[in-house]
Amino acid sequence: MNWLPRFFSRRRIYGELSDEIRVHLEEKVEELVAGGMLREEAEHAARREFGNVLRTEERGREVWRWTAIENFWLDVRYALRTLRRTPAVTTVALLSLALGIGANTAIFSLTDTLLLRMLPVRDPGELVEILRHSPRMADDNPVFTNPMWEQVRDRQNAFSGVFAWFPDKFDLANGGQAEYVRGLYASGGYFTSLGVEPLVGRVFTAADDQRGCSGVAVLGYGFWQQHYGGQTSALGSLLRVNGHSFPVIGVTPPGFFGTDVGDRFDVALPICAEAIIHGKDSYLDGRSTWWLRVMARRKPEMSDQQATARMNAIAPGIFASVVPPNWPARQQQIFRKYTFAVRPAGTGLNGFTNVRSQYTRPLEILLAIAGLVLLVACANLASLLLARAAAHRKEFAVRLSLGASRGRLVRQMLTGSLLLALGGAAAGIVVAQWGDSLLVRLVSTAQTRIFLELSPDWRVVGFTIAVAMLTGVLFGILPALRATRISLSAAMKEGREQTGGEPSRFRAGKLVAATQVGLSVVLLAGTGLFVGTFRNLVNVDPGFDPHNVLLARVYLHNANVAEGARAEVYGRMLARLQAMPGVVSASECWFTPFSGMEWNEDITVEGYKAPQGEEPLVWFNWITPGYFSTMRTPLLAGREFTPADTAGSTRVTIVNQTMARRFFPHSNPVGKYFRISEGGDLTSSAPMEIVGVVKDSKYESLREPTLPFAYVPVSQMKMVPESGSFEIRGAVPPASLLGPVRAALGNVNGAAALEFVPLTEQVDDSLGQERMLSLLSTFFGGLALLLTAIGVYGVMAYLVTQRTHDIGVRMALGAPRAAIGKMVVAETLSLVSLGLVAGLACALAATRLVAHTLFELTPYDPLTLALAAGALIAVGALAGYVPARRAMRVDPIMALRNE
Amino acid sequence: MTKRTEGPRDLFPGALEMMVLRTLKWQPLHGYALAQHIKRQSNDLLKVEEGSLYPALQRLLKEGLVTAEWGTSATNRRVRIYRLTGKGAKHLEREVSKFERMLEGITRVLAPAKS
Repeated sequence: MNWLPRFFSRRRIYGELSDEIRVHLEEKVEELVAGGMLREEAEHAARREFGNVLRTEERGREVWRWTAIENFWLDVRYALRTLRRTPAVTTVALLSLALGIGANTAIFSLTDTLLLRMLPVRDPGELVEILRHSPRMADDNPVFTNPMWEQVRDRQNAFSGVFAWFPDKFDLANGGQAEYVRGLYASGGYFTSLGVEPLVGRVFTAADDQRGCSGVAVLGYGFWQQHYGGQTSALGSLLRVNGHSFPVIGVTPPGFFGTDVGDRFDVALPICAEAIIHGKDSYLDGRSTWWLRVMARRKPEMSDQQATARMNAIAPGIFASVVPPNWPARQQQIFRKYTFAVRPAGTGLNGFTNVRSQYTRPLEILLAIAGLVLLVACANLASLLLARAAAHRKEFAVRLSLGASRGRLVRQMLTGSLLLALGGAAAGIVVAQWGDSLLVRLVSTAQTRIFLELSPDWRVVGFTIAVAMLTGVLFGILPALRATRISLSAAMKEGREQTGGEPSRFRAGKLVAATQVGLSVVLLAGTGLFVGTFRNLVNVDPGFDPHNVLLARVYLHNANVAEGARAEVYGRMLARLQAMPGVVSASECWFTPFSGMEWNEDITVEGYKAPQGEEPLVWFNWITPGYFSTMRTPLLAGREFTPADTAGSTRVTIVNQTMARRFFPHSNPVGKYFRISEGGDLTSSAPMEIVGVVKDSKYESLREPTLPFAYVPVSQMKMVPESGSFEIRGAVPPASLLGPVRAALGNVNGAAALEFVPLTEQVDDSLGQERMLSLLSTFFGGLALLLTAIGVYGVMAYLVTQRTHDIGVRMALGAPRAAIGKMVVAETLSLVSLGLVAGLACALAATRLVAHTLFELTPYDPLTLALAAGALIAVGALAGYVPARRAMRVDPIMALRNE
Repeated sequence: MTKRTEGPRDLFPGALEMMVLRTLKWQPLHGYALAQHIKRQSNDLLKVEEGSLYPALQRLLKEGLVTAEWGTSATNRRVRIYRLTGKGAKHLEREVSKFERMLEGITRVLAPAKS
């Protein structure tokens, strides 16, 4: 049916109808006049014969109408009128909806970006990640060596394209304090296989990524804007990366961030350029240097299984050709048996920032929390509408008795609540905007900045609209059904609502308020547990004192320091630091706790055999004398390292308590020996004498069970790595030491790259998820509490107003005012306790679901639950107190005279 | 809602429409002429409010059973002249035969019982 033209031609049709009727009447009058009637009389007669002109026109028009849509418009207009009539109530309702829906949208939007959204590249659904499958390991490994990658690249015929990459920090500074940007080593096929066209210039080709290349650079859009002001003159200019110059050849389009969600790249170099940056420490020929990730584009006609089968046909050849020669024979055997596996990668990968795997769980929890808060807000609106509907009882009764159908009235009320919900959603999207930037800031840490483009897509908009609709129906349906379930005669007979035969009980409203209390208990229990977890973690003794310690990390990559001279350079730097005013003590180690680096080795101890299923694995670090006093890790037995522990003296080591307990139970470990089972580049496997035992300390996170930990002196290392960390304990805050330390280190070697961070910040950064959960759950818990207070207050205040007459009668009959107040408070508390009982039962079930995110707390923590219940009782009492006071102030004479 | 638009004076739903269609089958007419014609033909036995003709005409227009065109009447007025469509003719046939069957049924029931 051609309904669209009809829609627009309706006005014309109506006009024609009116004209026609007018002509009809004229014709009639003329005929009557011709028959001898007076004109005035004739006009009357014509109208009489015709019937009601307006009514006829109306009926003629109705033929063309879509009843459903026009009634909907009427409902919308009715709803808008109603909402406008009570601006304060409408504003509060919109505000709570905006907060509730906005919070949900914000969190969903982050979830969407982090987990669901496809990469902004050509046909992301075709992308897969290639993994290594070892017959001995349960999980497939995503990391490849460069020789392995080169074999895959050159031999595979299963995919239309393969590419590899490695995210790294690139230092743009010329020595001194590092000026890091997000770097990317990308294979020649990286951009073309992803289908990323250059915005200007060109991207890498296979020719750019050949061994021995001189290197070219492709810039990310954001970096190009910031550093080059988006000028095309950037092309061809030289960019210094870690002290080496690379010509810029192109820029990628905005929106493309790479393949790792939460990360973005500023500067990309071809993989071959890694040899220029790292010189003879290059990874390119390292057969046991695992660094590259590999992705591929599936041929449209080939399934993942077929592609895997093809890859595995060539797997034995590939792995046999790149066996690490220095591995023991047994492990080489296993290596040859590696196969390939693929997994879909269209939504990007959990890259270097690890933000996806870290935040999936917290986001799920937050989404649930935000959902509960929205329910609490819904409950508020429901009781508000219930009260409003009660006030409209007579209107509804009249309309029902005049023949309006109940369904029609329900529809009208639901239209109103949906309208309110959609208005709330519109405001909620604005709230979500700043909510999102707040969330991203919470997810980011001082050291790992997270880049997420949280532009709302169809999924987010769809989610918001769905939530709004659901919300509208949820808070609208109960009031609509209640309000229209009216015994007509009773409602009409009521002279006035206040003096109904029995005092209003408003049971539906009380039930809604009790539900709010229940939901809030669940939320507050969660808040308590998350805050408790965070507090417990903050209170964990890391085994060192992070306050007033500045960490300075030094990289000698471009400092022109021979491998053998590194220890000497570090030594001179340390001496400078120790001599600085304001420095209490300073030491050096390979890496500091919580830096994300680790070094572990299997060890052999005379007379010790690891229990079944346990590896004799120990974590290591090298340090200088003074490390323990700088970190304030107490020495429990033996001695610290001293300058007398040299390359030539007895090999010594210091162990922590956990290591002592595990390998030397029931005996004093000092004076005992152990050795690293298989020596490598760093250390030999010669036996080491334990000269001291220190207190346990945390290695990578506060949550971890304490690891067996052994320290060795830097002087006895076979090779000193080209980066190391200085710990500087100041008598002053770390920030004020930064300038002098930078100058002191620069004095020793101006080309060394430097990085600074206070130790407290490094420790804090490891608590990102817990901080986010505790902060946001506190916010939401508080919001729920506030909403509940408003809800309970609203219901009780309404009841008191309804019962003014009743209360007046009681007072007139001699009831003391205190008794009246007590009655109201008691009624409030009985409502609250009803909610509490139900809520606590739900809380017990709900908190079990978050058990494993808790730290040193059981999900049934009685204190937490008691506090949550206590908070609600207090809020309930307060919310009941105000209406109670009003009830006590009722003037019986006024109340009765009002009749 | 359609129920109410039939108007209280319609004999039964669809009767007025049927008469309009029948009249238009004979010749195209404008609203006033239609009303007068139906009145005359029924010998004023049927009391049809003239106005109720128009909603009925709108319904027929919407269903595509008649078309309307502006033209000039015998009294030299600009009027809308209604014309039966093919669809309308078929509809009329169906309705008339339905009506006749109904009438026959009613007549049989009302006829004096044969013993």
